[in-house]
Amino acid sequence: MTHLTVAEAFAGTIAMLLLLVQLSLFRSVVISEFIRVYAIQAWLVGAICLGVGITESAWDLMVLALLTVVFKGMLLPRYMQSLARGISARVELPARINVLLSLLIAGALIGISILTSVQLPLHQGAFLPRADLATALSMVFVGFLVAILRPNALAQVVAFLTLEDGLFFGTVTLAPGLPFVIGILLLIDVLVAVVVFAVLVRALVGSQAAASVAVFEKLKG
Amino acid sequence: MSGFIPAVIGIPLVLAGLVLFIPSRIGRILTAAGGLASAGCILALVAGAASGSTHLDALSELFLVPVAIVYGTVGLYSTWYVRAESIGADGDERYRREFLALTNAFACAETVVPLLTNMAGLWVTLEVTTILAALLVRLQGTDAALEAAWKYILIASCGLAIGLLGVVVLYAAGASVLGTHYAPEWQSYVRAASKIDADAVRLSFLLALIGFGTKMGLAPMHTWLPDAHGAGPTPTSAMLSGVLLSDALYVIARFASIANAAVGPSMTQHLFFIVGLLSLFVGAFFLLRQSDIKRMLAYSSIEHMGIVACGLAFGARLAVIGALLHVVNHAATKALAFFSAGRLASKFDTREIERIRGGVAVLPVSGTLFALAGFALAGMPPFGPFRSELMILAGGFSTSSWPVAATVLGLLLVAFAGLARWTIGVTAGDLPEGMKRGERDVAAIGSMLLVFGVVLGLGIVVPSHFVALLERAGDIVGGRP
Repeated sequence: MTHLTVAEAFAGTIAMLLLLVQLSLFRSVVISEFIRVYAIQAWLVGAICLGVGITESAWDLMVLALLTVVFKGMLLPRYMQSLARGISARVELPARINVLLSLLIAGALIGISILTSVQLPLHQGAFLPRADLATALSMVFVGFLVAILRPNALAQVVAFLTLEDGLFFGTVTLAPGLPFVIGILLLIDVLVAVVVFAVLVRALVGSQAAASVAVFEKLKG
Repeated sequence: MSGFIPAVIGIPLVLAGLVLFIPSRIGRILTAAGGLASAGCILALVAGAASGSTHLDALSELFLVPVAIVYGTVGLYSTWYVRAESIGADGDERYRREFLALTNAFACAETVVPLLTNMAGLWVTLEVTTILAALLVRLQGTDAALEAAWKYILIASCGLAIGLLGVVVLYAAGASVLGTHYAPEWQSYVRAASKIDADAVRLSFLLALIGFGTKMGLAPMHTWLPDAHGAGPTPTSAMLSGVLLSDALYVIARFASIANAAVGPSMTQHLFFIVGLLSLFVGAFFLLRQSDIKRMLAYSSIEHMGIVACGLAFGARLAVIGALLHVVNHAATKALAFFSAGRLASKFDTREIERIRGGVAVLPVSGTLFALAGFALAGMPPFGPFRSELMILAGGFSTSSWPVAATVLGLLLVAFAGLARWTIGVTAGDLPEGMKRGERDVAAIGSMLLVFGVVLGLGIVVPSHFVALLERAGDIVGGRP
């Protein structure tokens, strides 16, 4: 019987929590819940970054963990909540299919991710053997699914950000040696993307109150 | 010659900041001059590289050429465009300054991509281009522009997320050979290719092809492209189609090179066939039923990216070199097509093809150049795209994949029918009632004539040192640097 180290058990728990938190997006009905879910996920990603930093004695990852928690876990959600207030945060978010069917599709995507990852011997340099690529891939796929199934501008932004969290998780656990600057750039990329999304969301709100992207059906063919 | 590298990055970067704070009548002249100066520096850099005086490899040098062609002429064309097409909701002057600043910043990011060989750095730079392009597409302030910008940033960002996963998987796989802490340089991977786990390399290439293929407009990830090209400002459409698609291809080519060196060419060729034929199919058949002149050109871009992917898939040396030459030919021809289409759309005050008639009679130069660009895109001699398509097909028919080459030929004929039909419809006919004949915008005409010179020139003769560059770049893509 294989015994897990404390670090592996910690990482496995965080990976599972990350996925569960992301799956709860299918159940969320208002945008403020979406943003809270994203904030929780950012704290979890910060925790895994700190864990890898301590295990690898890598100060750069510890700094990255701190920056992740401050920017993605605190400042960004606060900014997005203020953006949501302008749109009416209590408006119920539309869903293209029901929660059960959404979860079934998400489950299938997670299964595909696990089957794809289990073949690859990406052990050296990996903090969380076997499960890390599967988790990262799953988070990317589920992020896609949320963006497709919830046709609301801010919901799609949050879906994209959770997808980015999956990438961040994959980068930190699979390739902790990837230069620190990439982690920082990933963080900056998220901030800039949010600013650009905010510009577009404000423009969208200018034309209709609920920020529904279902109106985006003019450009066809 | 390496001294030109700071200039090709610095000129658009400085201009991007400067034009925000000076009147647009000066800003547009500086942008035109900057574009031409930057193009001159790039061409000097590429010419110097032939003598071995820069550290850039042939693939980097080759993919700088579309930047030189398009940015070099976009600045000139924009001097007319910002006067004629300023429709910003918050005032024309603000719109003009923002347009010029974003155009220069976009050009800078597009220039940096081929200069890099760091796989993670490439992802970062492409992400920057996405953000800048979305802001440019949104700039016109219409509902269609907002929809196009939203779809573009969402789809392209998600695509790039998958691309980054490809970078991460490759890095993790390389750790077993290169150590846990290393710079993800392309050269390191190629040198260590035989020792890196084959399955990981395969997965990495697949993720890169899907992710960066989204930016390249390959079907079925192409859905953002017709919207963004159609709704964005005309110079932006030229830069998106001519340069950004080739930048994305550059990144995919780097991944293909690693995969070819690690696991042989069979896997990359099969995948290129799938996306190439699908793109050709989508592009060719959607060309038949277009009503918007810029969307028509956008579908032509998808078709041409499909041709390039098929050229790489055939694997024959002639086909691969043809595919790389086609990247340059497509950039020049598509810039000419968008420039002239923009002039026609502005004159007729519509992008609807059915309402644009007698283009040559109304705008003798722009209309004629649009007709020539349309026929060049359709693959007619004596223009550049004809030569490169012929090379791709000849290469394809020389391999065991000749049935695929025959399919490509069939789809090219469908695309030809679509392009020829719309091109003739738009340009032929008498002067419409109530419209005046003639055009006097020297800068716009000059930019189109410059780029037409490239389209025609590359069809007549390809300079020998450029052939050598194409051959060396082809070797790199094949995993034989």
